[in-house]
Amino acid sequence: MMTETETPPVDESAADSAAAAKADDIHPAARPFLFLGKESVKRNFIWLPLIGMIVCIIIGVFYPQAKALPIEKYIPGSWAIYGFLAYSAIVLSANTLFNFLGRDEAYYGEGGLPDPEYSTDPAITGEPHHD
Amino acid sequence: MIEQVPLLAEINPGLWVILAGLICTLLPIGHARKAFVIAAPIFAGFLIFQINGLNPGAHFGGRLNFGPVELTTLRIDKLSVVWGYLFCLAGIINGIYALHEKCRMTDSSALIYTGAAIAGVLSGDMITLFIMWELTAISSVFLIWKGGDHAYAAGVRYLAIHVLSGVMLLAGAIMFAQANGGDFMFNEIGLDSPGGWLMLLAMGIKVGFPGLHMWMQDAYPKASITGTVILASFTTKFAVYALARGFAGEEILIWVGAIMTCFPVFFAVVENDLRRVLAYSLNNQLGFMVCGIGIGSALALNGVVGQVFVHVIFKGLLFMSIGAVMYRTGTAKASELGGLFRSMPYTAVFCLIGAASIAAVPLFAAFVTKAMILAAAVYDHHYIPFLMMLFASAGVMEHSGIKVPHFTFFAHDSGRRVKEAPWNMLTAMGIATFFCIYLAWPVGGYQNLYALMPYELDKAYVPYTIDHVVFQMQLLFAAIFAFTLLKRFKLYPAERRAEILDLDWTYRKMGLGIASWASAMWDRLSVQTGRLKTRVLGAAGRRLYQTFSPAGAASEATPSGLAAIMTAGLLFVVLMFEYFAK
Amino acid sequence: MSFLELIPDWLLIHGPAFLMALPLIMAAITAILPNKRVAWASTFIVTAILTLTAFSIALYNAEVGSTLYKMGGWAPPHGISLVIDALNAPVIVLIAVMAFITVIYAMPATIAEIKPNKRAPFYAAFLLSIAGLLGMVVSGDAFNVFVFLEVSSISTYVLVAMGAARDRRALSAAYNYLILGSIGATFFVIGVGFLYMETGTLNMADMARILADMDGGSRVSKIAFGFIVIGLGLKLAMFPLHAWLPGAYAYAPTPVTAFLASTATKAALYLLLRFTFFVFDPSYTYVADVLMFVLVGLGVIGMLFASLQAIFQTDVRRMLAFSSVAQVGYMLLGVGIATTASVAAGYLHLLNHAVIKGGLFLALGAMWYRFGITRTQDFQGLGQTMPWTMGAFTILGLSLVGVPFTAGFVSKINLAEAAADAGWWWAVGIIMLTSILALIYIGRVLLMAYFQSPPEVNGNVVDRNEAPLMMLFPMWVLAIASVVIGVEAGVMVDAATRAAELLLGTG
Repeated sequence: MMTETETPPVDESAADSAAAAKADDIHPAARPFLFLGKESVKRNFIWLPLIGMIVCIIIGVFYPQAKALPIEKYIPGSWAIYGFLAYSAIVLSANTLFNFLGRDEAYYGEGGLPDPEYSTDPAITGEPHHD
Repeated sequence: MIEQVPLLAEINPGLWVILAGLICTLLPIGHARKAFVIAAPIFAGFLIFQINGLNPGAHFGGRLNFGPVELTTLRIDKLSVVWGYLFCLAGIINGIYALHEKCRMTDSSALIYTGAAIAGVLSGDMITLFIMWELTAISSVFLIWKGGDHAYAAGVRYLAIHVLSGVMLLAGAIMFAQANGGDFMFNEIGLDSPGGWLMLLAMGIKVGFPGLHMWMQDAYPKASITGTVILASFTTKFAVYALARGFAGEEILIWVGAIMTCFPVFFAVVENDLRRVLAYSLNNQLGFMVCGIGIGSALALNGVVGQVFVHVIFKGLLFMSIGAVMYRTGTAKASELGGLFRSMPYTAVFCLIGAASIAAVPLFAAFVTKAMILAAAVYDHHYIPFLMMLFASAGVMEHSGIKVPHFTFFAHDSGRRVKEAPWNMLTAMGIATFFCIYLAWPVGGYQNLYALMPYELDKAYVPYTIDHVVFQMQLLFAAIFAFTLLKRFKLYPAERRAEILDLDWTYRKMGLGIASWASAMWDRLSVQTGRLKTRVLGAAGRRLYQTFSPAGAASEATPSGLAAIMTAGLLFVVLMFEYFAK
Repeated sequence: MSFLELIPDWLLIHGPAFLMALPLIMAAITAILPNKRVAWASTFIVTAILTLTAFSIALYNAEVGSTLYKMGGWAPPHGISLVIDALNAPVIVLIAVMAFITVIYAMPATIAEIKPNKRAPFYAAFLLSIAGLLGMVVSGDAFNVFVFLEVSSISTYVLVAMGAARDRRALSAAYNYLILGSIGATFFVIGVGFLYMETGTLNMADMARILADMDGGSRVSKIAFGFIVIGLGLKLAMFPLHAWLPGAYAYAPTPVTAFLASTATKAALYLLLRFTFFVFDPSYTYVADVLMFVLVGLGVIGMLFASLQAIFQTDVRRMLAFSSVAQVGYMLLGVGIATTASVAAGYLHLLNHAVIKGGLFLALGAMWYRFGITRTQDFQGLGQTMPWTMGAFTILGLSLVGVPFTAGFVSKINLAEAAADAGWWWAVGIIMLTSILALIYIGRVLLMAYFQSPPEVNGNVVDRNEAPLMMLFPMWVLAIASVVIGVEAGVMVDAATRAAELLLGTG
């Protein structure tokens, strides 16, 4: 699977020193979209789904579902509520589940850990891969 | 072409792909193999098209007689033809995706596997189905082993489970056929006979029923990059076909399917390995299909057929995009990735489209077909399963819609700066992306998918109504809002490297533990048992030898006196029979 | 029918009588012939004529249907009648052809196995045996069947005992055979006696008619049926009444073994068919019960048990002898299912197995002739030292196992199909299982022959030493026949179906 040009290995510690230092490595097509990585954009992204949800709930009041569950017509924005609750329930269950099911990666002693012979993970093989 | 060579209409098109795979095993030239990998599914698809044109709706061919058993090795009807086309299309896309990989084993086993899946869905009888069922398992295990040493044991487990499934299928088929006067045609099976239950269980293993699913999450993430993509396309969908053919409308499948949509979301949310997340996601998607099969109305079954078709494409797209990331970075672990949209923007866009498709965002693939299954559940008043599936839809949004693209391409920047995926991967993903949008496009798009659906509806289901779009968007917006909110309050769990236990623990750890404990005990006892064993086995062997060997009792030249007494005894037996004959 | 035009009319009309009279008379003459070479020649000519006659009678039968020949012009039931119909015509051809083939083979074989002064009596006994077998097959009269049964049996005891020149154990085997064969014949004649008591006739067609009128008859006919089934069961080596068979097959002179294996038990089986379906009828409950429980039960047990026993044998001829017992099980299974298809399949297996087993024993005889081989481990390297003989053995062995495109496959698959049609799925499983067992015991020998090098004698590897042409020719005729039947089974299947339709009255 070794192909293309070889460049020096990715240095994990150097990688942390921000993307700006490595601006040259950024794909030309991605350049216009770098704002997506800004902290302010990330923080304010929350308004997009919130407003979208509210708008959809309002439209939903005027255009009720043609075929709905018997109880749904009394609850405006039923799917939004259901979706919010379901999503939160799933995510909030994660910690408990993790404590219950999570084990060390070497638990089975076979899977999980990449194999030095076949792995493409530079941290394991010690050589760069495909870039 | 089919008119000039009528024999082609008798040969299952999948066999040509298998033949191409067999040729590839011997072909040392990489480029020639790649030509086969691309050309064979195209040729098979073309043949299916031609044969389907001969007798639209129901073509039977390749009849073979083995004694009392009549095999119909080729059946192309409205149901199977969809799978036939789909598998050919998937074969082509997978072939393009794997163009960079110069590996004879991958090429040939991928071809044989693809061909076996095509031949399997196009087979008319249960014996051919069984053969292809096993062949898909045997040929695909090489793709898992290609994942490296750590995949070896998983491959063996995968093979063992699938061979078991095949054996159960065969046993069930024989029992079923015997109860039906030796008819081995694969049609409606039903659950009236023990054979039917056995077959359902066999298919349940392959399709990943809850409790029988763990092989999928065990093996798929360990396969090679291209291997996972190829594996995810065929095996389970083959089983969905078998279920749709044999068990449409079985009430129990509604509940099995509904549970199957729900439980994987909990595993997916804690899993770190994104390929394993996608394997859970796959399991969850299959739940929708199983549930639709259980509902069994024409609307539901059409929805299932459509869902299978788009599912192979968008699930393939997701696996391909994560595969491309893994190819460049060497890992598919969420904890190691992030911010990759900077260096792999095209892959990121493809992945987002795949995520939108699986989450059933309007204008993207699953929007039409999943809605059909959900609507069918409501129409037939299966409210609880409906709510479970709706819950699972929110779950799909969580793991495939948000988690996979978010932790790979956005989130915290991992600082990895890699090259964009190779051109062939981008091409394959581009083709899949095109279909994801095209097959859900409101005008002149999803209607093409409708044209493939096998069952007649009084009134075609209309997906793009204001209320449907709006309520779907409510669900999705609410999910994204919940995600951002939980993120803001730091309630969203961080990705941690870990091994998440699933039911495969029962045999990988508990079974192994019991076995090793037993073996230790056995060792301790072996001094005593060894003596006992030799004595018992020796005695058994000696007894067998004493009975049957030339020097043995049975071969002793029976004294004529004894033989005469035996004759008289037998005469007595016969006379008794006659005396008591009614 | 240009062939029939070449045959004089008197032969067609008096053929049935000619079939048994010619060997009878010639046996007497052969016995006193001074020169053993002339004795062989006369036997050869007689069997050649018999083969020709049998063929023309069979063809004539196919053309005009069943014929009744009245001995001396006396009409039955007072006179003695000979019957030729679709059931016995193929068996007549089988006996005549196998006799002819064996006689060709016997020329070199007897030189090695029979003392010079015994050769003329050997051929005389051989002719007597042929006469007896043909007589019991063509006879339409139950008592005459018994007479000819005894003629063939007594001459066979003599033939088996002649193996003593090669192996002294032949004497005890012949004695054992004599005792048990006599018991069988006695049982049979007791059964016939009871039948006579019940119906007042000895003509089998009359018996059938009267029994049908009496709706199966009283308890007397039940007892008669029991005696006849057991008597014939002994003769056809039905498990567990096969005790006489392995010894007789293993120690008789090789041509006798081949001839016995392919005709004697088959003629007895023919009689069983004749009595169960023609004289009696499966519609009588006691017949149906015996068919269902005794014949099928013993047949299946025999298939399994004798196959297992064959696997453990070290003497090849005993191995094939046990295999014969197992194969009889197939035929009994076919008879016991008692549908037209199954009886046809059993009958077909009767014919095919005769060809296969006859050929196998001929090949074994040739191996004994060249290398004195009787044990399985002596087979090592035979693929190199006797390639042609081993080739024939391989083809016939595979046919016995039931490999596609061989005779064995045709009859086994027909039997399996018939069993499946009748809903006897477990029987299909048993057929598969015993075929695998057959593969084991044949495969064991084949592996030895082809994958081991020839043994060394005094430091030199044994040279190639092929059997003489007069031995190779007969076995290859049978080997090719088994393949031809396997590829183009139409004629045989038709003949078997006609026979079954005649028996079950479905024709």
